[in-house]
Amino acid sequence: MSESDEQLLARILKGDEEAFAALYRRRQGPIYRFALHMTRNRTIAEDVTQEVFLALLENGRSFNASCGTLLSFLYGIARNRVLKRIQKQWRDEPVDDAEQYASDNDVFHDFTRGEIIERVRRAVVSLPPAYREAVVLCDLENASYEEAALALECPVGTVRSRLSRGRMILAHKLAKYKVYGSKCV
Amino acid sequence: MNEDPVRDILRALAEEDAGIEASPQIEVRLRKNFNSWKRRRIIRRTSPWVLTAASIVLVFAFANRKETQPPATRSAPVEQTVASLPEPIAPIKPLPQTTRSRNSTAAGMPESFEIVTEFFPLMDPAPAFERGQLLRVELPASAMQMVGLPVREEYLARPIHADVLVGEEGLPRAIRFVKIEKE
Repeated sequence: MSESDEQLLARILKGDEEAFAALYRRRQGPIYRFALHMTRNRTIAEDVTQEVFLALLENGRSFNASCGTLLSFLYGIARNRVLKRIQKQWRDEPVDDAEQYASDNDVFHDFTRGEIIERVRRAVVSLPPAYREAVVLCDLENASYEEAALALECPVGTVRSRLSRGRMILAHKLAKYKVYGSKCV
Repeated sequence: MNEDPVRDILRALAEEDAGIEASPQIEVRLRKNFNSWKRRRIIRRTSPWVLTAASIVLVFAFANRKETQPPATRSAPVEQTVASLPEPIAPIKPLPQTTRSRNSTAAGMPESFEIVTEFFPLMDPAPAFERGQLLRVELPASAMQMVGLPVREEYLARPIHADVLVGEEGLPRAIRFVKIEKE
């Protein structure tokens, strides 16, 4: 039976490199995708992923398993890093490598589906950050409301309302794109 | 407006992106960072102990030197070239390396000899080292764990001897652990 995240963290904090590699391989995907969906930028998403696991080394002892899962702890770190980048991104020139991001997927899917998916991505990233992070965590990464609440540092009720509001905004945006009714989705 | 179609579309996006992962270079970079974090952590944990112990020994050695002639021999001057200093990433070998010395005692008493480990660097990167002193100190066995040597739980609090190589500027450069055996 594979070790839990918490068991791996305990080994990491004792200096076990293989435990660190195992935890990284298990959790880098969700963290990377969260950062990618929040920013639409692979470079930022990779930087954030790296920073999250470095922060885990430095602050791993502050993780309290009774407060939530390690994944939500990691999401919390990722969220803080992403928000800093988003604020910086708004101050500086907008960064967007959507073409590069979309290109990998077009190889495997027909154009119409790829186009629709791309529009959904654009719609998600255009949401205000507070709604975006709730949608990305709960709808795209299947995080529970409790996990999302811990990561977003707000009550579960707030997660629910932000999620609902985020979906409503998305519905308006996607209706404008005429995405509804497509047989591809 | 109904949320269900949005959820369906988001589900499709989630499925589409489910396999997306960070590039393998990130893991390589993180592993490198992990190793330097581990070394920093060892130095951070060990240095306060060693500095405290070294300070105590220095004070005693200095006081002893004033009172008695010839001066106390608990610390020995050491000269070493930079090239012969231990590498920052020393291989960790729990096994004893060499037998250092035999101490004759009074007639009828058993002889004692010392088993020492290799030196473990305490500074990374180690600055140039030309001259320093080797100080014998007493530390809890947990100090061995901090440089990566295995110690059984029940022995963690036991006092052990160690030689600390202190540079001219007073900073501890390296440490080795000593086991005193009686024949």
